[in-house]
Amino acid sequence: MNGLTNPMGTSVGKKLMMAVTGLGFCCFLTIHLAGNLTLYGGKDFFNSYVEHLHSLGPLVTLAELGLLFFALIHVLTGMLLFYQNYNARPARYSVNKRAGGRTLGSATMPYTGVILLLFVIFHLMNFHFVDKTNTTTFQLMSNAFASPVYIFIYTFAVIIAAIHVSHGLWSAFQTLGANHPKYTPFLRGLSIVFSVVIGIGLGFIPVYVSLLR
Amino acid sequence: MHLDSKIPSGPLAEKWDKHRFELKLVNPANKRKFNIIVVGTGLAGGSAAASLGELGYYVKNFCIQDSPRRAHSIAAQGGINAAKNYQNDGDSIRRLFYDTIKGGDFRSREANVYRLAQVSNHIIDHCVAQGIPFAREYGGLLANRSFGGAQVSRTFYARGQTGQQLLLGAYSSLMRQVAAGQVSMFPRREMLDIVVINGQARGIVVRNLVTGEIESHGADAVVLCTGGYANVFYLSTNAMASNVSANFRAYKKGAFFANPCYTQIHPTCIPVHGTSQSKLTLMSESLRNDGRVWVPKTPGDKRPPNQIPESERDYYLEEKYPSFGNLVPRDVASRNAKAQCDMGKGVGETGFAVYLDFADAIKRDGKEVIEQKYGNLFQMYEKITASNPYETPMMIYPASHYVMGGLWVDYNLMSTLDGLFVMGEANFSDHGANRLGASALMQGLADGYFVIPYTIGGYLSGTSRPEITTDHPAFTEAIRYATERTQKLLSINGKRTVDDIHRELGHILWEYCGMSRNDEGLLKARTMIRELREEFWENAVVPGSSQDFNQSLERAGRVADFLEFAELLVMDAFERKESCGGHFNEAYQTEEQEAMRDDENFCHVAAWEHKGDDTDPELHKEPLVFENVELTQRSYK
Amino acid sequence: MTKNINVTLKVWRQKGPHVKGGFETYPATDISTDMSFLEMIDCVNEQLTLDGKEPIAFDHDCREGICGMCGAVINGRCHGQEKGTTLCQLHMRHFSNGDTIVIEPWRATAFPMVKDLVVDRSAFDQIILAGGYISVNTGGAPDANSIPIAQEIAELAMDAAACIGCGACVAACPNASAMLFTSAKISQLALLPQGKPEATSRALAMVNKMDELCFGNCSNERECEAECPKEISISNIARLNREFVKAGLVSVVK
Repeated sequence: MNGLTNPMGTSVGKKLMMAVTGLGFCCFLTIHLAGNLTLYGGKDFFNSYVEHLHSLGPLVTLAELGLLFFALIHVLTGMLLFYQNYNARPARYSVNKRAGGRTLGSATMPYTGVILLLFVIFHLMNFHFVDKTNTTTFQLMSNAFASPVYIFIYTFAVIIAAIHVSHGLWSAFQTLGANHPKYTPFLRGLSIVFSVVIGIGLGFIPVYVSLLR
Repeated sequence: MHLDSKIPSGPLAEKWDKHRFELKLVNPANKRKFNIIVVGTGLAGGSAAASLGELGYYVKNFCIQDSPRRAHSIAAQGGINAAKNYQNDGDSIRRLFYDTIKGGDFRSREANVYRLAQVSNHIIDHCVAQGIPFAREYGGLLANRSFGGAQVSRTFYARGQTGQQLLLGAYSSLMRQVAAGQVSMFPRREMLDIVVINGQARGIVVRNLVTGEIESHGADAVVLCTGGYANVFYLSTNAMASNVSANFRAYKKGAFFANPCYTQIHPTCIPVHGTSQSKLTLMSESLRNDGRVWVPKTPGDKRPPNQIPESERDYYLEEKYPSFGNLVPRDVASRNAKAQCDMGKGVGETGFAVYLDFADAIKRDGKEVIEQKYGNLFQMYEKITASNPYETPMMIYPASHYVMGGLWVDYNLMSTLDGLFVMGEANFSDHGANRLGASALMQGLADGYFVIPYTIGGYLSGTSRPEITTDHPAFTEAIRYATERTQKLLSINGKRTVDDIHRELGHILWEYCGMSRNDEGLLKARTMIRELREEFWENAVVPGSSQDFNQSLERAGRVADFLEFAELLVMDAFERKESCGGHFNEAYQTEEQEAMRDDENFCHVAAWEHKGDDTDPELHKEPLVFENVELTQRSYK
Repeated sequence: MTKNINVTLKVWRQKGPHVKGGFETYPATDISTDMSFLEMIDCVNEQLTLDGKEPIAFDHDCREGICGMCGAVINGRCHGQEKGTTLCQLHMRHFSNGDTIVIEPWRATAFPMVKDLVVDRSAFDQIILAGGYISVNTGGAPDANSIPIAQEIAELAMDAAACIGCGACVAACPNASAMLFTSAKISQLALLPQGKPEATSRALAMVNKMDELCFGNCSNERECEAECPKEISISNIARLNREFVKAGLVSVVK
């Protein structure tokens, strides 16, 4: 029966890829947040963190390539899933009501996902693909967040990310088969806590940076 | 015509073994040359189609539902009996045999019932191997309960959903054979006729319920597993689509109809709520293990149950039958409930209900234990009635539930029409005049898994059949007949809906041919049925066309058959001048109002032969010979 | 207490799979609150029949919540708003006088329309056919008590086995995924020792079949679990996922 098809091509396989890459991004978010928290230690502390990070050289490149690879999988698979799911029910119901399973996060995954993709590109253009020879990362931030538009975009994007992970983190564990009456409630709680921490932790940074000026 | 039951000679315990040895075998390479049609996918049909497929036969399997998994066997709640004696409480094949014969009020065949008890154990083995999650003890071994009047614990169960689990087991085996290409499934097909060529059943004509197309299917043998006709009463615990049509078509083509008057009225159903009720819901009789049945002592006592003191309650079953108490067989429990209500002691809005009280059981075992045992049943009851049985006693009333009568079959399960086999509730053979709880599942699966695979081989290898195709004139004729009848139904164009007429038919039967019967009422009922039938063909309204999905047309065809069949049922009841099991004729009762059999004159199977639409059917009698049990008055005192 | 109410039905009517459908409005008058939802439709159908119109086609059979034949979306909820209830067990006492009730069929590509509220759910049979069984022939089984099964395991298997195949999980899923249905069978058989030998191939085969039939992908929305009339848990989906990982990634069998 088996052996003929690639397990990763099935619906469950695709979900597994989404889960693994998604969890990868959750780890990245955690590290990113931890790094950014150095901001609260002051400008120099932050800049020295950035320098230290960049001194890792090839390791950083490797991590970046890894993230890019994960992103490709996550985005492409996500788009395929969205397309297939739409085709599974082209005729919609005239009355839609939730039975209590759906959450804001779960219902908006594809949309928050697209917004995040656009934001990540925007974010990279702001801070990654810029000439940093004559300026520090802190300076870049400080300049960017001088504009209320930037503050708004960044805060908004972080809230979207929080909504995305509020479903994503728990969902990844479920997809990986981790569901048990003992620890599933904990995982669901963890998802919410994680999204709140990310939301507040990262969301407050633009505001904080603009206040420092 | 002589009814040859083909019961093998020799001692009772060796008959089946001997018979299996004597039956001719079909060479494995030849099995694939044989086509077998199985109509119905319940416990009997599903298990038969799967087993025959496993053996290598090519099977065509038909059902009226959208999937074979929906046959009404799925609704059986309580359990399935087997003589495993896992509980070490004195059970044995012989005891299961004896209980079943006695429970059937000595109106079934010894040899058939003994075989049933013999294969019962294999059923449990097979079902466990299929992955059926039967209830288990903490040690991991199978749990048993005592059920429906048995004094040993021999009933295996899967919560209150035993029928569902067994059916899904058979269904999964069936699907495996479909995947293997041995079985072809034809869902949403209704059998409209049997095709007989050279005196042998060689095929069927069905209506595709989605497209309306009439299709022909030929085979070497036809197996009917089309269930019972309890819906003739309109209100019953059967599924809405359960009907007599397939059996009745077979009867008209030469299969004898046996004991149609043996119908079972189940004592524990949720009472009727109003005139628009479409069906009745059974509450598993396992509830009687812990629930106590009572009514107020004073007729017309309208106080709520909790305000009626202990001293003013009549626990009539415990009083009358001290050794079996609330666990008396179904027919006895039902008749007593009716008797109490007829005395004006019934409860509830309609006065047609008795209490089934769990207060003592909850006090004794705690709510938790009761919840574990009956939780889903209590939930179901509350859902339907909006009353909580943990606090207020349940109200129950008897309802038409099962029929013991069915097409006559011999020991091989073949009807009087060569090549037509009948199994499960559709045949008459194992339950006599009354079926014990947890025996129907056992019989359906015994027939399908362990009897037909042997006996059909004997038939196929022992007879010669000409090559046929569905172009044969017999098929053309059957299609013509089916098409004409459909057109006739659609062209009545009267003013009464089919359901309305069916409801009236149900009233007639419930009133005059229900839990108790008398000659005068039966004669009256026969006249009323004839009049109603005439009205149906003049005044019914059947909307829609024959060329698409038309549920009104489906129902009309079934009700038309019920209207003819009901007369046969009443005639059979009239002819049986005794009381036995589910058939209670008021003229024949003991001083204590118990059924009084007449073994001298009625120890036989009544098998009816169709003689034409305008002629009365002819009654044939197959004498029942009891060599291994002594015929006694059933006593549950 | 019993009383009679009047409600208005907005019912999806569609003559056949390739015909355009739409909503029709019918009054349902003098409906006893003790009636089941289907009995209420019976009443409307009786009236439609007498008025010379075609009655509403809807699937139903046992009317006691076990055959899985009935089902429709009532005001946006599968089998109606009551928890753990099939449509046939939904009673009119849950509605009020004057309510408008919108009735739609299950909608999914894998469940093609037949007529009105009737859809074709044979895709479920196809999924079972792909491997939802234990390959055991009649006759060869060992004694039923030869393999003890812990009570808790048997109970878990029974929880999963309670599925009635009604299709509400697919109808409720925003993605029309059949994961709850498929996982219930895979779970039941994977939990029991009898089902273990085939657990690997079963998980792969059934998931592949499910995809092939154009069901959507599970995105853990949990609507299936919330609407399942038998309250089957999505822990079964997690078990399917585990079985799938075992089967697809770490199995010794090719």
